[in-house]
Amino acid sequence: MTTTIIWTIAILTLLGVVLAVVLYLVAKKFKVEEDSRIDDVEKVLPGANCGGCGNAGCRAFAKSCVDAMNLDSNFCPVGGNETMKKVAAVLGLEVKEKAPMVAVVRCNGTCENRPKVNDYGGYSSCRVKASLYSGDTGCAFGCLGCGDCVAACQFGAIKMNPQTGLPEVDQEKCTACGACVKACPKNVIELRNKGPRGMRVFVSCVNRDKGAAARKACSAACIGCGKCAKVCPHGAITVENNLAYIDFTKCKLCKKCVAECPTGAIHAVNFPAVKPKPATAAAPASSAGPVSAHPAAGAKEAAVKEKPETKEE
Amino acid sequence: MKKTFSIGGVHPADKKISAGCRIEVLPTPQTVYISMSQHLGAPATPVVAVGDKVKAGQVIGEPAGFISAYVHSSVSGTVKSIGPRPDLAGNKVTHIEIAVEGDEWADGIDLSETLVTEIPADNRFIIDRIKSNGVVGLGGATFPTHVKLTPLEGKKAEILILNGAECEPYLTSDYRIMLEKPDQIVIGAAIMKQVLGGSRTVIGIEDNKPEAIESVRTAISRLQAKSASYSGIEVAVLKKKYPQGGEKQLIDAVAHRQVKSMGLPIDVGAVVQNVATSLAVYDAVMKNRPLTTNTLTVTGDCLPADRQKNYLFRIGVPFSFIIEQDGGIPEGAVKVISGGPMMGKAISNLDATTVKGSSSVLYLTAEQTVRKPESNCIRCAKCVEACPMGLEPFLLNKLARNGMMDELEQNAIQDCIECGCCLYSCPANIPLLDVIRVAKGDVMRAIRARSAKK
Repeated sequence: MTTTIIWTIAILTLLGVVLAVVLYLVAKKFKVEEDSRIDDVEKVLPGANCGGCGNAGCRAFAKSCVDAMNLDSNFCPVGGNETMKKVAAVLGLEVKEKAPMVAVVRCNGTCENRPKVNDYGGYSSCRVKASLYSGDTGCAFGCLGCGDCVAACQFGAIKMNPQTGLPEVDQEKCTACGACVKACPKNVIELRNKGPRGMRVFVSCVNRDKGAAARKACSAACIGCGKCAKVCPHGAITVENNLAYIDFTKCKLCKKCVAECPTGAIHAVNFPAVKPKPATAAAPASSAGPVSAHPAAGAKEAAVKEKPETKEE
Repeated sequence: MKKTFSIGGVHPADKKISAGCRIEVLPTPQTVYISMSQHLGAPATPVVAVGDKVKAGQVIGEPAGFISAYVHSSVSGTVKSIGPRPDLAGNKVTHIEIAVEGDEWADGIDLSETLVTEIPADNRFIIDRIKSNGVVGLGGATFPTHVKLTPLEGKKAEILILNGAECEPYLTSDYRIMLEKPDQIVIGAAIMKQVLGGSRTVIGIEDNKPEAIESVRTAISRLQAKSASYSGIEVAVLKKKYPQGGEKQLIDAVAHRQVKSMGLPIDVGAVVQNVATSLAVYDAVMKNRPLTTNTLTVTGDCLPADRQKNYLFRIGVPFSFIIEQDGGIPEGAVKVISGGPMMGKAISNLDATTVKGSSSVLYLTAEQTVRKPESNCIRCAKCVEACPMGLEPFLLNKLARNGMMDELEQNAIQDCIECGCCLYSCPANIPLLDVIRVAKGDVMRAIRARSAKK
């Protein structure tokens, strides 16, 4: 009995030793050399694996940084400048600060501005809806309102506003990963410069129809009149295919275009409320925001923006 | 035993309410809008200018590519404008607006009703006539007919199959032409048979249309007694099953041949044409009459019996005009469809115009259209049983929702014919077809991009 136990232990021990040697040799022979810095870089990344940087997850991004050994073409939109500084510290590289970006929904086709011309009863998905027809309003370009962007956002930064039927971006939560931009079949969402203290000016419309048709479909549409382009002192606005576009790298936030736009299609957000000067108390409504000719547009404006200017002024 | 295709299929109630209504000629409106994109392939290029006087049957659009077709004016009058106009889905397409003045036809068009039975011997002449008269497939896909009839290098068409199945519920326009113009259809078939050089022509008709079967059979024997060029044409009675009118399903049902994945009917020696196309071929070749009219059914459960119609309409007539002529949208209708209830498209813009392939104005009630809430897939495999292409819709749905493109391609999503049998049969009301159609588009694009790179 005792001998059996001794033999068993001896054979198993021997087997273990032999296999350990085999394993050691195999591991030595087929060793995959991997840069240990990849692990170090991965540790400082947010770990969201969102793909916003263009790589297939955070480890792939780390590998790409280590392989390239420069950070010019690698940027983590989720972590932003802080994370990139940490990555630079790990790798001993220089990093240029990038202006923070934010997703901007360029459509103001609320239920009042853009009346429905038919009812969609199909599967609630923007992609499916876009494949079937031009949408349930007269505008064939704007938001379809089924919330594909909401489903695509991993950070809970986009929500549908049931009142307007449009998605709203929470700029604190938005990491500018670009998932919503890819998810939108109408290319309504754009990544734009977040701007100083979140102040930014943009054209909230993507309708490329001629003015009359665009206006008929939606009272807040860009009609491509070009007044904004003329008034812009910085040459930041271009009008192409009946649609104005503000180049955020050139825009100096003077808001002249906002006051000029006849349909209120140009939005200025997060600007501090203008203090009314006693002498010009009657006039300043035009500079206070996108509200001017259209009281209806102004009213809904207040509902849309995160920090609306107070309309009483 | 009656023939039908071997895999899948469903049996929706056929609801051929308007079957007994004779074809009526729809009056011509004040203005017609003729779309330049009425066929599969490149849109035609307008060849008239604003202010031009046009005659009915005159070419107003020329083909802009190999797969494209001529477009003719269906009325005589003055060109008012040329420009983008929303089609029935609201997408902008170039249309030519013509204000109608009188009804004058272009020269060389035989408008008489006399039956011409002498088939021209020159095949090139026939193809030219079909091409120049803008004939496209009227079974749904509107593929240019002259392209389909021009044989590919090294491929031989042994059998021509005419689709008289009209498997979509409600539609009766094909049924009516088989009753009212059977001789023309058979002559059209004989013309196409001669061009293809095949020996056999089969007209497939479902067994729920016994009068049509009888009518076409009589026409065949009548013509066979006259001339030897009508030999080899026969009628195949098919067991009613949707989607029998699908090209691959019809070949399977009639000839028991299966087209492989991504293959064409010609690979198994078959060419399929619709009976309405056959009629258009007859008009084009024998009468030199361009495709400017077609037959369309106005029907629906909520439409009173006296307003059920089969109209012979001029192409380019707005849907709103047809609806108006028929007395407006009936009470209870919540959705207007162009095409059958299974594959047709909802008309979101009633001002859109009819095109060559328009086959119906169908009114559906709330009960028929409102979707029931979606629940979870219970793997009952009813969709698998129903799929006539032998696919697994439940699996494709899962893969598509997770964006697994390679797996979708391996599971042959590109073979989907979008017949809707899966959606029709799903007890959990999962929008299978909606999801699959979008994913199929993505996969097809990826396949095309890959083959373009090579």
